[in-house]
Amino acid sequence: MELVWSGFVEALRIVASLEPSVMDAAWRSLWVSSLAVAAATVVGLPVGTVLARRHFHGHGLAVAVARAGMAVPTVFLGIVGYAMFSRRGPLGALDLLYTPWPIVAGEVLLAVPIIVSISHGSVQALDPRVAQTARTLGAGLLRRWRTYISEARVGIMIAVLTAFARCVTELGIAVMVGGNIKGQTRTLATAIALETGKGEFERGLAMGLILLTISLGVTLVITLMAREVSSHP
Amino acid sequence: MIRIDRLEVRRNGRIICRVPRLDVEPGERLGIVGANGSGKSTLLIILAGLEQATRGRCEVSAPVEQRVYVHQQPYLFRGTVLSNATYGLRSRAMPRGQANQTAMRWLTRLGIREQAHRRVDNLSGGERRRVALARALAIRPMILLLDEPLADLDEQGSETVSSILNALDDVTVLIASPTDLPHGLTTRTYTITQAISAED
Repeated sequence: MELVWSGFVEALRIVASLEPSVMDAAWRSLWVSSLAVAAATVVGLPVGTVLARRHFHGHGLAVAVARAGMAVPTVFLGIVGYAMFSRRGPLGALDLLYTPWPIVAGEVLLAVPIIVSISHGSVQALDPRVAQTARTLGAGLLRRWRTYISEARVGIMIAVLTAFARCVTELGIAVMVGGNIKGQTRTLATAIALETGKGEFERGLAMGLILLTISLGVTLVITLMAREVSSHP
Repeated sequence: MIRIDRLEVRRNGRIICRVPRLDVEPGERLGIVGANGSGKSTLLIILAGLEQATRGRCEVSAPVEQRVYVHQQPYLFRGTVLSNATYGLRSRAMPRGQANQTAMRWLTRLGIREQAHRRVDNLSGGERRRVALARALAIRPMILLLDEPLADLDEQGSETVSSILNALDDVTVLIASPTDLPHGLTTRTYTITQAISAED
């Protein structure tokens, strides 16, 4: 308990002093994960909705692949990312390894199956009258899609939050393709692992509390945004 | 306007709706009366073009976007009464201002103008039904398919809805009900009999 308390005090001290290295890692964690989740939402939401509303050859397989994708270990995505972005990889010419961009790319791959699977489940679980009412009132494809998103807002919000939580706390991708370079690719998750590895438990715990605060803040913002957007189907 | 010949709808090998013959003329107000489970709702859903019949012929001389079906328990989308009432109009790309005006006219006729900016979550059953009717009527469809439209309505509400439906000369209206409809609401009644369950 004493360790938790001292970690809490240390967290307050770091935040109060705006310690540059921690603030830098916190900011990177926030923008890398937000960008990855935003991109994954743009890709995953239409896919999840289509899977919920349309049945086609291989539909069951597509749903199973998306669900299985949620269980892929981050370290595996890290290795795949490394293979892609290393000098000998297909994207090696871009010279992006050990920059934040491969972390964003890896986290997109991490988040897409989550967004697809949960949004698919949420839209599929909608009352059948939603689709019937929208269709009988003459809603076109795009308006029907917006209506499904609006009506399934809670599930979709959970999809986005789950994806964000998974991305902001992941370690495997950030270490493998980011390299945990101070001031360049270090995120809060890699910083926590580093500090704890050095025996600096209080600093590790302090950073964990900062990470928790960021997650709570993002949860609040997304919840408020979902309420606002879904008022206008 | 509508011509049905030996229509049959099966689900899981069971017949859930059977209509041997039915013709409906333009502008007619037809009551479809039958016991629970006789297939009234299914018939309206087929006529709305939302599902397909298993067998038989069902010809409707109005495009699908000109047929509106209102559920027995209408579904209102998240938002306000007005945003629901304008849904069909906005789906037809009507400018927001014009859609609001049109919807407000129908909300006024149905006696729920004051509720226009209220969120639908807090409405009573009767109010929800009126909103769904206003939403359907605002489109001015060629065919209006109403599933028990007088349920949940008080006496005054029933009279209001009945008088509005009576005034729709250019709209073909089909009204499903498990019991006889009020005198004068329909011009003719078709009795749908319980579909006989059968395996192939």
